[in-house]
Amino acid sequence: MLSLWLPRFATDRIRRLRDAASVSHEHLPLVVTGKRGNADILIAIDEAAEQLGLSAGMALAQARAMHPTLDIVPEDARADGELLESIADWCLRYTPLVACDAPDGLLLDISGCAHLYGGEHELVADLGRRLTEAGFAFRIAIASTIGAAWAAAHDGRPDTYANGDERDFLAPLPLGALRLPPPVVASLVRVGLKTIGDIIDLPRSPLTARFGAGLLRQLDRALGREHEPLTPRLPVAPYVAEKRFHEPIAREEDVLGTVEKLAARLAVALERRGDGARRIELTLFRTDGALRRIAAGTARPLRDAADMRALFAERLATLADELDPGFGFDMARLSVLIAEPAPAEQIGMGSADDTGEMVRLIDRLSARLGAQRVRRAVAQDSHIPEIAAVTLPAQMTMKDDGWVAYNRHRSAVELAPRPLRLLSRPEPIEAVAEVPDGPPLRFKWRRALHDIVAAEGPERIEGAWWQEENVEASPSGNRTRDYFRVEDKSGHRFWLFRAGLYRDLVPGTAPPSWFMHGMFG
Amino acid sequence: MRDALRQQLIYLQKPASLAEELAALPLGVSAVDNALGGGLLCGAMHEITAASEAHLPAATGFTLGLAALANGNKHLVWIAEDMALTESGVPYSAGYEAFGLPPERFIIVAVAHRHELMTAMEEALRCRAVGAVLGEVRNGSLDAVAVRRLSLAASDSGTLAFLLRAKPSHDASTAATRWTVQTAPSVIPGQREFGGPRFAVHLTRNRRGPSASWILEWRNPDDRFVLATHAEPLAAPLRHRPYQKVA
Repeated sequence: MLSLWLPRFATDRIRRLRDAASVSHEHLPLVVTGKRGNADILIAIDEAAEQLGLSAGMALAQARAMHPTLDIVPEDARADGELLESIADWCLRYTPLVACDAPDGLLLDISGCAHLYGGEHELVADLGRRLTEAGFAFRIAIASTIGAAWAAAHDGRPDTYANGDERDFLAPLPLGALRLPPPVVASLVRVGLKTIGDIIDLPRSPLTARFGAGLLRQLDRALGREHEPLTPRLPVAPYVAEKRFHEPIAREEDVLGTVEKLAARLAVALERRGDGARRIELTLFRTDGALRRIAAGTARPLRDAADMRALFAERLATLADELDPGFGFDMARLSVLIAEPAPAEQIGMGSADDTGEMVRLIDRLSARLGAQRVRRAVAQDSHIPEIAAVTLPAQMTMKDDGWVAYNRHRSAVELAPRPLRLLSRPEPIEAVAEVPDGPPLRFKWRRALHDIVAAEGPERIEGAWWQEENVEASPSGNRTRDYFRVEDKSGHRFWLFRAGLYRDLVPGTAPPSWFMHGMFG
Repeated sequence: MRDALRQQLIYLQKPASLAEELAALPLGVSAVDNALGGGLLCGAMHEITAASEAHLPAATGFTLGLAALANGNKHLVWIAEDMALTESGVPYSAGYEAFGLPPERFIIVAVAHRHELMTAMEEALRCRAVGAVLGEVRNGSLDAVAVRRLSLAASDSGTLAFLLRAKPSHDASTAATRWTVQTAPSVIPGQREFGGPRFAVHLTRNRRGPSASWILEWRNPDDRFVLATHAEPLAAPLRHRPYQKVA
């Protein structure tokens, strides 16, 4: 477990911004202030300010009195949070298990990853070098538990590598290093317990009785007696393959070639467990710390490396201008975010059947245009036309899309004709009817007048009365609809309806109104 | 080297629609099939234009009827721009079923730009599992090169390609046929009963025969076109045009 602490995070952020904008400024001691309770206090201070004897938590007025020439900046918690997130993203190059330790630290689970860098020391050296280049002060510690690593980073010697001797090195540290709430620490200090060593061997039950269960839990976690789970920021992918480059790559062909190589490695792992990938993500780490994540979904569990390459070729083609390799990518990771069991025969380029061809077409189009744009109809168990017309992304697979049951129902019942094209939202029309509940004689839609020659109907469709009336969702609300199929003089055939019934009309409510809903071929 | 280039040139010059080996899809109406030289050419692009925007549903119906004749058990891919779907309505599964197209074999693709429409059509045309591709263009002109690529893609795979246009246009096209479709009254004058969907179709461009006009009716249970009987024929008589010879 690696704990990274950026002790001057807020001030470093401001310095970096100013350096980037190359604002000429005198190097005054920099302090960040914010309101806590009713007082303006110092939240963060830089090195120069610390040397002047200032400290975080001091009142701003007092600091000003001591040193009139201070560079005072108000705090910006949101910018701090965003920067921490992007540093966390960037740390994904070391391990997929990264957690934010707000407000100014990160936790990395590097077990099993350090050897990729040649060992823990080398990993820490690499991390440190990059942080220094980026202009951050930092402290790093590695220990076998989160608690111990955190304590060492914040209060111990920096660059600690404790493996198994947590007890010895925790003992001299102050109790605050256990991540306890300040009131608990204060009350412990009041009874003379100052360091972790002071409580390590005390009888447990009196401690719990007096200071609460939290104290011993934190101690146990730091010592590894109790497991503390790390909550990674991103879901952990079941299959991951990655590759580091000594010479950064920038060309699209190289990226795709890497994808194929990584995919081949994933394919082996997927096959061993009988899985196929439903969602794959490519993470590209740029040399300057930025990273790109590109995800692609598939309609069927996929295992073939060439198919995966083809998917990402489509995705890259759509973002060609955005890929922006800068000075190149020095690492690539391909992760399967969602895997599903896949029978062997569904997989591979060689399959000759049309279903496979269709699936590949859907995957390619979805990768290029977006999964939401490639759709197919599903049979919905609803009599309300808008709901019955629902389409789903074609990549979504279902055991039963309802067509079997629908076709059975259809062959048994005579269904009223339905229009070829349905307007997504029924459009209000002005209509004149002979009798209130009858079909219209003529109507005006999109500024054109239509005289009706023949009409069929009504087909009465009850509104979804069990739902709240929602005028936003449908301009006709949940009122009962009487649908008519009409043909005008020139042969245009329409599907229109009257929302509401005249017999239900009560004073004060909206009178029935007419809507255009679709056109027949 | 030069020979290879020449070969390539011949290949590029060959009008896709005139290739000998391509199959024809009979409409089942002898008058139409004769004019088309046996039927609608598979592996070619056909342009179907609504006489005006109001006639777009009819043009849609006619196109879907043609696609249904071809479909077999393959898929139909309908690609349209977002604007077209918002303005003219989305394909409704219960509706196109009446044209004999099973909804489960129907893929609808919405695209944001014209060039995406073209590339998606080309991609779909090259897929073996697809029987017909329908691209809907609301207005504006088409990139001639992209249209040509579509024709070539269609002839390579033998898939039917339809360009459905909401307004007539006069841009040059490599389409094998171009149709202008109007809706025709299905109701017999004096009666108040609906017949099947009727289309007044004008074959305005035909690479393998004369141009002509008919009124066709789609018969639902047997899923085929018939010549409309009770309606008056359109005023325009058959106009013969000599077969176009391509050097």
